[in-house]
Amino acid sequence: MKHVGKNEMVAKQQKDYKEKVFHFIFLFSALISVLSVIAIIAFVFSKGLKPFFGENSYSFLDFITGLKWDPGTESYGIFYMIVGSVLATLGAIALGVPIGLLTAVFIAEIAPKKIVAIIRPAIELLAGIPSVIYGAFGLGVIVQLIKKVSPTGQGESLLAVICVLTIMILPTIITLSESSLRAVPKSYREASYGLGASKIQTIFKTVVPAARSGILSATVLGIGRAMGETMAVMMIAGNNIGGLPKSIWSKIRPLTSNISMEMSYASGRHQDMLFATGVVLFLFILVINMVLIKITSKMGNANSKK
Amino acid sequence: MMKNNNTKLKDGILRGLIYLSATVTVAILVVIIGFIFYKGLPGVNLKFMTRMWDDETTVVDVSRNNNSNSHGETDYVESLGIHIALEDKNIVIKSIDSNSPVKDAVNMKKASYELKTGDVIGKAGNTNFKNITLEEAKKALDEGTETIRMKITRTGGGILPMLVSTIYIIGLTLVISAPIGICAAIYLNEYAKPGRMLNIIRFAIQNLAGIPSIVYGLFGMLVFVQTLKLSYSVLAGAFTLSIMLLPTIISTTEETLKEVPMTYRESSMGLGATKLQTISKIIIPSALPGILVAIILSIGRIVGESAALIWTAGTIAQIPKTLVGSEAAAATLTTKMYWLIKETADLEQASSIAVVLIVLVIALNMLSKLITRKFLKKRTS
Repeated sequence: MKHVGKNEMVAKQQKDYKEKVFHFIFLFSALISVLSVIAIIAFVFSKGLKPFFGENSYSFLDFITGLKWDPGTESYGIFYMIVGSVLATLGAIALGVPIGLLTAVFIAEIAPKKIVAIIRPAIELLAGIPSVIYGAFGLGVIVQLIKKVSPTGQGESLLAVICVLTIMILPTIITLSESSLRAVPKSYREASYGLGASKIQTIFKTVVPAARSGILSATVLGIGRAMGETMAVMMIAGNNIGGLPKSIWSKIRPLTSNISMEMSYASGRHQDMLFATGVVLFLFILVINMVLIKITSKMGNANSKK
Repeated sequence: MMKNNNTKLKDGILRGLIYLSATVTVAILVVIIGFIFYKGLPGVNLKFMTRMWDDETTVVDVSRNNNSNSHGETDYVESLGIHIALEDKNIVIKSIDSNSPVKDAVNMKKASYELKTGDVIGKAGNTNFKNITLEEAKKALDEGTETIRMKITRTGGGILPMLVSTIYIIGLTLVISAPIGICAAIYLNEYAKPGRMLNIIRFAIQNLAGIPSIVYGLFGMLVFVQTLKLSYSVLAGAFTLSIMLLPTIISTTEETLKEVPMTYRESSMGLGATKLQTISKIIIPSALPGILVAIILSIGRIVGESAALIWTAGTIAQIPKTLVGSEAAAATLTTKMYWLIKETADLEQASSIAVVLIVLVIALNMLSKLITRKFLKKRTS
């Protein structure tokens, strides 16, 4: 009897040991995300901030407010790129959010099931198309079209970037808006109909306002996507070496394409400056992420209150 | 009455706008796909899929066949067992007999280099095959010593290296990130208790998801390519993508874990199973389809990724022979497509690659749908 008991104890101890080991493995796997974020910030920031410290440092103010990027003459100004990136993003949001939201309304509220069964895979495909293909399309179609109507005679422009980014953020906006529209309780609609409102009135006065936090987070996510998009934008932006964009026909040089364009041959300070551009981009994205996390956690709270 | 009309008008306009937006969305997709297929489809064929990217010239030795069967044809080289043809002033191998000695050809390093249909013969023995007639070529190939030395050029223009490299990178990335992502999701859903630790992990995952791929590219280049000295390689690319994919894998897996009914866990625990046993025997098997979908989604991301790969895996079109080092640099379909547009402005060939990419994306989408549908059916029945 005693012997068996001892064996059981050993087995149980082994079991406990195994449980603990796996618990640790699961925890460690989860912590890899945390370590990755820390490592990315540490490495990119330490290289990107290097040119602004120590001997022979470059003035951070010149960097952040400069209007010319010419590594040959040691001028590294990125203000015009920030302006270009922000304008392109705002333009894409101004076009993409209304189109995306209305498409989401169509899918969630109006379209019969059969049509939804066609549109939804189409949107999923739109989301899955690699960004290089959007770039090729932008270069082969949008840039050529703009070339024909632009007063400057050039197709690569802020407008081209806005068009392509609008297309690229549409799937994000549509999918997220749609699911938040669907999450609005049926009783809201019934109450609205009961008060004599029409279907369209119900949608725009009741359902859309009730889904606004979801739509807002879709918008913020879209901003992040647009701001961080690289390959497609790089092919169609024109990537001028200086000067603020004056109109939608002007060339721009988004932050992302500045990094990607010159990474292949940059070295020394030039390379550090590309990382510094990455740091600025990163800070923008970080702020956008914070806003997004705020909105989604608020949404979570609101839902749990219901 | 007036007001009623106004409402109707407003409703009509809004309804029109809704239909217009939905139409625009679908039209955009149709135009993009149409453009890519119009430009790229003529270039997609079997040769495009199976050939190497660059022309490849090799010098080989072939031992002749003694027991050759004479055909008496003008384009048949008896001692080598091959038919030859004149194409664009080049002598090309048209067909190869099943017992032909060119199948046992060896290169200068004595390694086997089997000749294939379509290979161009540039030189045989001492005869240069430039601007030569078919008869002269046949004579030069049939005459001479027991082993014949030939200069062979294998025509490129195909995407085989990129296809293989893409598969390598998909495999490597998943081997690294799928276990980590799945384990992390298990921790978050099965072990973690609300508190500071959980908040930090969630915060990190949300941030990882938002970082643009070009920043991953910068990080990968700095850490894996330069600091860890992996050089531009499949492994450096796979490491970079693994981090990038973690949020996708974790959140998708977590969603499926959440769908596993609580009663499953309770019954398993009630029968005396430990937590680990419950996870490995009950939870993971019932969440498997969802995990599979997470992996397919990740494959889609890898296939489409370019910014994070260009500075970590490079843009050289070759089948990687090692995991790290100069022989391991590998362009995927997407990075090569980008390279083509940037370096050669060849939109046609780039579109041909794009056609392959779009077909891949559609196939992956359908596969994940199929799994989801089957899985849902099983659940509800």
